[in-house]
Amino acid sequence: MIVLAGMLLAACGPAPTTVAPNTAVPPTVEPTQAAKGCDAPMGSAPIPFPSGGKTVTGAWSQEPDSIVPYYSQMSYAIWITQLTLAGLGEWNETGEFVADLATFPPTAANGGVSADGLTVTWHLRPCLYWSDGQPLTSDDVKFTWESVMDPGNAVASRVGYDKIASFDTPDDTTVVLHFSELYPPWQTLFTQGPNNSGGILPRHILNGKTALENDPFIHWPTISSGPWVITDWVPGDHMTLLPNPNFYSGRAKLDQVQIKFVPDPETALAALQTGDIDWYPDFSESDIATVGALEPTVHLMVKPGFDFEHYFFNLGVKGTGAGQSDIEGFCPFKDENVRKAITLGINRQAFVDNLLDGKTTVPSTQWPNSSWTNSSLVPDPYDAEGAKALLDAAGYTPGADGIRHGMCGGVDTKLSFNFETTTKQIRVDIALAVQSDLAKIGIEFKPIHTPAGTFFATYTDGGNMATGKFDMAGYTTGFYPDPMSGVMDSFSCATVPNAANPSGVNNYHLCNPDLDVLLQAVNATADPAARKVALDAAQKYIFDHYYVVMAYARANVYGMVDRFVPAPFGFASNLNWNSEVWDVK
Amino acid sequence: LVQAVFTLLIITIVCFILTRLSADPLAQYATNPNMSAADRAALRERLGLNQPIPIQYLKWIGLAVQGDMGLSFFSKQPVLGMIGQRLPMTLVLMVTAEIFILTFALLLGIISAVKQYSLLDNVITSFSFIGFSMPIFFIALGLMLIFAVKFKQLGWPFLPTGADIWNPKDVSQLIRHMVLPVTALVIISTANYSRFVRSSILEVLGLDYIRTAHAKGLTKRAVLFKHALRNAALPFVTIVGLDIPAMLGGALITESVFAWPGMGRLFWEYAQRGDFPVVNGVLLITSSAVVIFTIITDLVYTFVDPRIRLS
Repeated sequence: MIVLAGMLLAACGPAPTTVAPNTAVPPTVEPTQAAKGCDAPMGSAPIPFPSGGKTVTGAWSQEPDSIVPYYSQMSYAIWITQLTLAGLGEWNETGEFVADLATFPPTAANGGVSADGLTVTWHLRPCLYWSDGQPLTSDDVKFTWESVMDPGNAVASRVGYDKIASFDTPDDTTVVLHFSELYPPWQTLFTQGPNNSGGILPRHILNGKTALENDPFIHWPTISSGPWVITDWVPGDHMTLLPNPNFYSGRAKLDQVQIKFVPDPETALAALQTGDIDWYPDFSESDIATVGALEPTVHLMVKPGFDFEHYFFNLGVKGTGAGQSDIEGFCPFKDENVRKAITLGINRQAFVDNLLDGKTTVPSTQWPNSSWTNSSLVPDPYDAEGAKALLDAAGYTPGADGIRHGMCGGVDTKLSFNFETTTKQIRVDIALAVQSDLAKIGIEFKPIHTPAGTFFATYTDGGNMATGKFDMAGYTTGFYPDPMSGVMDSFSCATVPNAANPSGVNNYHLCNPDLDVLLQAVNATADPAARKVALDAAQKYIFDHYYVVMAYARANVYGMVDRFVPAPFGFASNLNWNSEVWDVK
Repeated sequence: LVQAVFTLLIITIVCFILTRLSADPLAQYATNPNMSAADRAALRERLGLNQPIPIQYLKWIGLAVQGDMGLSFFSKQPVLGMIGQRLPMTLVLMVTAEIFILTFALLLGIISAVKQYSLLDNVITSFSFIGFSMPIFFIALGLMLIFAVKFKQLGWPFLPTGADIWNPKDVSQLIRHMVLPVTALVIISTANYSRFVRSSILEVLGLDYIRTAHAKGLTKRAVLFKHALRNAALPFVTIVGLDIPAMLGGALITESVFAWPGMGRLFWEYAQRGDFPVVNGVLLITSSAVVIFTIITDLVYTFVDPRIRLS
């Protein structure tokens, strides 16, 4: 009865949803912009949705907790910033670093990066305006830096920004960054990337304010420098965006973008089929086959990325000094042959083919699908016999129960260990496949699945990884957009967590001074070619020592209806870039 | 009242400790390359997580009793405001569902009891078993598949799947979106409650005073509605009394499946991230409601059953 009543209502057809047009205020022109010969801004408020206008509707599984990502590290905050708050540069669909609010990306060749790598000069496009008609100048970039560094503002991170010693703005369009020390990942500052967001903030709105983390603008910016302005946000439900009349490359092709918040992929799948939404970017690799089966109603798009799922060994050495852990890692893992045998004994290509529908690959390095990867390295193929031979040679022979054992550190040790990971379904499925593979070579692999909030808990909260209470573990990570983003934290001796260093995040508990030296060499120069050579050497070292088992390169999985025409995009740019050219068929 | 306050205090302590131990708010940053160890340490201090849990609790409860539930760790919004945004949507959904549930449950339960072992009773009983044997997500997704996806494919009028629910200029949009989640909730709960009503009435119908009423020559209708139903309603009042506060907590699965922006989703989404000011705020509201409505239910007993006195 309820459904029938609903069908009657549905038959009446939905009334068009429009956002109340903003009351337009006559645009104002700052003297400085007018004096430079700039045209007046095109408006001072978002362009109202016209009757019969073009609109698209996407859905995200979560809503951003804040719109300005300096105060959030949520992916969705980065995504919404791509639509609303432009940075100086960004990464395009092929992963190339390109200009956004700037005219071109600084390089050593164009004089944008000094010979010593300590000074970086950006040139803004001329005649930039915020969506409210106020000029956007180098002073806004400087304000952004000042607000990030202001101790009164509780930003999530100051990484990199704290390496800027001084900041010059010789004119309205020139920004000169003087670094206190060589900082090769400078491209991640004030720019929009797949893993970072540095949208420029407006001085004329936020100047003089402190504790910006609680400011309404941070939660919901009223103006924009990107293609869109957020005009409506019903928490937990949807967000509506209208075109910024002053976007530097002209107003967006579409008249409206709506983002719905749909936590359940099954619901998103149904919504794509009914046309309630036009795209959904939050499918997981385990949904590939399901989404693919909906062609031609729904198109599947898989974008292999820089993230990777990997399994790793607890290599901790018990002690209280730097680089040491509270707990000794599982003894047999100290033997490189055992680590190699485990790598050879897991049929990684099989689960890529069978569980991931062959849409991704087994990577050889921690920089998959990236120009930074050492392409001379090839993943070891599945070789159960080779694995058995290695274990035999290492002194681990099958016992009566079929599980191998041998002497390690003077103790007869069974090759039986726990593997910890999260409860994500694809991880459960793959862990079972690994368990079966390793059983064939006489290893007992015991998966333990815990919720992410517990699995990733920090040292202070007693997290198993941080405190070293695990044998083997697995999760996804990735080092980008700069190839050294997070690398030192993950691999160096200085970041092994222990009582004296509870903030350390070297979850491998690996401390190898030789590897430290190799990795430090990558950041010892600003020259990209020299960095590549250094990084290649570090990758080979990690590869040759079998410190981690690279499971598969993660991919972003999208479902998209035919009418929606996004800009060409890749993993680095992500779908949300160049949204000003989005269109409908 | 003192007992109620004490109960509430115990509930807050248990909930606080459980939520605090269930997820580390900083866990989501564990592999974030953009945050340094110093950033993480600063965040821990800023959120007060470096203090002992009892101190964290005392600070939280101290503010909560003054009506300040603090700020969300991640959205930096006042928790009370966030709850205020979601509560109306939950109430709209749950109250509507509850009205249908009670109506159908009473109707089907009475029919089933009065017509015991008849074909109608067997049909109602069968559907009841089917209803409460099925998980809510199965019913919810099944309804969506049929009335949204399949109807659309057949070119028939179809219902929306979820989200973009609230448009102040078009209330019918809200009603259209309510149809499927309300139906899912009604199917599950009506099945359960109608069985309960049936057994309560059957139990009462077998008592001496009902036989006496029949012997006095009262009509079946009079016996049922004037004598049996009132006594059979007593246990039902208890269940409904506990249902009302539970409504405030929302329906986690139903809200998630239909992307309904209610309290259940608020709780779940922030619980996963370890945002315990939000989680504890929701728990405090719902547990307070349980305590209050339990007292109200006790008061209602005195009206339903004159034999019960407050003293």
